[in-house]
Amino acid sequence: MRKNDVIVIGGGLAGLLAAAVAAKEGKKVLILSLGAGTLTIGGGIIDVLGYVDGTAPVATPRAGLLKILPEHPYKKIGTVALEESIKFFKEICAGEGYPYMGNLDEMQWVPTAAGTLKPTCLVPKTMNTAELKKTDTVVVLGFEALKDFYPHLITKNFVNIPGFSNKKYEIVMIDPNIADGRDVTALDVARWLDTPEGLKDCTEKMAKVLKPGSVVILPPVLGTRPDYHVADSLEKALQCTFIETASVPPSVTGLRLQTMLLRYVKKLGVGFVEQALVTRSIVEKGKCLAVVTAGIDRERTYYGENFILANGGFYGGGLVAEPGQVIEPIFNLPVSAPSDHELWANSNLFSNEPQPFAKIGIDVDEKMRPLGEDGKVVLANVFVAGRNLQGYDFCFEKSGNGVALASGYQCGMSTHRERK
Amino acid sequence: MKKHFNNPDSCTACTVCVAHCPVSAATNKFRGPKMVGPTLERMRLSEEDVEPSLEYCSNCKNCDMSCPSGVPISTLNMLARANYYKTRKQSKRDYILSHGEQAAKMASMLPFGAAIANLGMSMSRGIMKQIGISDKAPLPPYASTSFIKQFKALRQQSYPDKVVFYPGCFINYNDPGVGMDFVAVMQANQYEVIVESDLVCCGSPLVVNGFLDEAEANAKTNIQILKKWTDQGIPVITCCTSCGLMLKQEYQELFHIEGVEEYAQHLYDAGEFLLELYDKGRLNTKFGALNEQYLYHAPCHLRAQGMGLPSLELLGLIPGLEVKNADAGCCGISGNYGFKEDKYDIAMKIGAPLFQKIKESGLSTVVSECGTCRLQIGHGAQVKTLHPMTLVRKSYEANGQ
Repeated sequence: MRKNDVIVIGGGLAGLLAAAVAAKEGKKVLILSLGAGTLTIGGGIIDVLGYVDGTAPVATPRAGLLKILPEHPYKKIGTVALEESIKFFKEICAGEGYPYMGNLDEMQWVPTAAGTLKPTCLVPKTMNTAELKKTDTVVVLGFEALKDFYPHLITKNFVNIPGFSNKKYEIVMIDPNIADGRDVTALDVARWLDTPEGLKDCTEKMAKVLKPGSVVILPPVLGTRPDYHVADSLEKALQCTFIETASVPPSVTGLRLQTMLLRYVKKLGVGFVEQALVTRSIVEKGKCLAVVTAGIDRERTYYGENFILANGGFYGGGLVAEPGQVIEPIFNLPVSAPSDHELWANSNLFSNEPQPFAKIGIDVDEKMRPLGEDGKVVLANVFVAGRNLQGYDFCFEKSGNGVALASGYQCGMSTHRERK
Repeated sequence: MKKHFNNPDSCTACTVCVAHCPVSAATNKFRGPKMVGPTLERMRLSEEDVEPSLEYCSNCKNCDMSCPSGVPISTLNMLARANYYKTRKQSKRDYILSHGEQAAKMASMLPFGAAIANLGMSMSRGIMKQIGISDKAPLPPYASTSFIKQFKALRQQSYPDKVVFYPGCFINYNDPGVGMDFVAVMQANQYEVIVESDLVCCGSPLVVNGFLDEAEANAKTNIQILKKWTDQGIPVITCCTSCGLMLKQEYQELFHIEGVEEYAQHLYDAGEFLLELYDKGRLNTKFGALNEQYLYHAPCHLRAQGMGLPSLELLGLIPGLEVKNADAGCCGISGNYGFKEDKYDIAMKIGAPLFQKIKESGLSTVVSECGTCRLQIGHGAQVKTLHPMTLVRKSYEANGQ
């Protein structure tokens, strides 16, 4: 009988981190994944904590951590494990040749394609804004035919940002000439730059419009691979500093992160089953023995010692909302939600308040084990990570990938510590 | 919960499929899975809406695999293509590529038919190019004796445990050795193999070129024959992952045939079936050592089946054998897609990272379940290829079985 030490349900950031931690500790790990996760939607940077209330951003993620409520996942995980998870993540990135920068004591304010600055914590070095703060002239580089990146929107909005109002702004455009029948996305431009010919072509076109020494904001197009080859080549050839914006999906920076993490866990021998819709579990005496997938043909049973639930909350199918109740379908874990579902949503969409539904999820202990209403562990060998957790509104707080990272890490460590 | 609800409204337009579509990465002529699939399907439901770039979808199913919301995007594309051809006629090229079974049958009926057809094929590449089949494409030659004929001439040991083998066109007409290897492996596991000679093409090559009605007729024929066995609980096994996907999944997604769900429960990939025997302690594990190294390529149509990579796991049981997963994405061929003159370059571009990885490995042989993947890999990376069952048989034989 085949059996894994750890079975991870979900292949997004939380699941991949959990798998990485467990596999690095020598565990036999299998990921059951339905869909490719959401890293390529909004990924690429790790927000840890930007806002606690709706009035003003926190000064640093660490300062924000002092203000969060007891039910917040970070409170369960603890700052020590959060910092360990960041260290673990940055070590992976550095080892894979795509180092990230940032820490809990500094807020990274990265430019967005809408001309705003967004608070985050860990970023690839192509989003390092140190030079942007210093420069008195900002160049915004756009690509002809590229959808969803309009340089004038950035320059128009940037002048309203404190610290950016006295800078001079220039817009330059280059034509990648790759349209060929469809809307051009940042992903298409990045793929163009992946090729030696595209990189050469782009360098030549940029040389005509960029002066050496320029600080240049551009869409996330500096290659799809998790390395700095494109950024380094352009910076060397043009003697400019390039800063990629956060942008709309498909996310190039998210694709880099996903590619890197998948490559890393597979190198550690983590198994992967795609199109695996986990629908139920086999539980005996407070312990999970196996989980079962429902294929279009038949069910398949996967046995394991430990199980990590990281299948993405409402969006990933990890939580299912029904009138008056929210269900966790695989283990039937307790999910506390107001019985009047009218109370789940804050109908004032752009208010300074979080959304109640976003905070609905599974309560856990410090090891990420699910808790019942009595505060006792429901299943001793099941651990919960990422969006299935209760007590945070990632969108409001800017904390999504941070919670995924830290809780994934904590789950992975818990499967390890349990065996000792 | 089953996944064959072709509801375009499940799509949230998140673009994960766009990031994972190999065709979109290879050509900007394709408007991408999200747009061509669910987005335009909403339009197509209300009025005829023709999207010229639909022809670029290769039905490789990487969009379906990446979708966080369970939308069968490629199936929406295939249904739209079928709808398009309801009022139009396919090209001669697409007819020929979809009806390989007819040509193969004719060749196999004549004495020396395969040899003559192969000679004809090599001489007529110029004519094929004129009708739109690439003269560079790795078209498979016919085998001199089909699998069915070889199987009929074989004397099997009879056992109470039986399985039905669905060879599919490629194994039957082009690569019968794989089928014979499978039979030998099952015999070594004390199973008797049943082959039904009235089975027809699974329909996969028909679906991709819009011959949906013919595919449905084939589906009905196959299900009728196979159901006789599956109703008795006798498993049906495929060695071709595209046949397997079609027989159990796409039949359910594309057609409404009674009893298909019950029948699908008994369909197995060969590797998966043997691994299940292993789990039950029923697998013959007297594997002889094979001190060899290979690279493995996972066909997209296997990955789409939600069972991981069973053959790779199975080969891991053979002592001495080292098989590493190339894990470099789609090979590009997608059935008959890469044979087409206007798709050949796209297919080769899609496969380029895989070919590169194979070359970097320094290994001379790649293992993969899919026949057309193997053709493309042999062509693109200039290496030998073989089916996992060939190695399993070899291992048993190395132990004198």
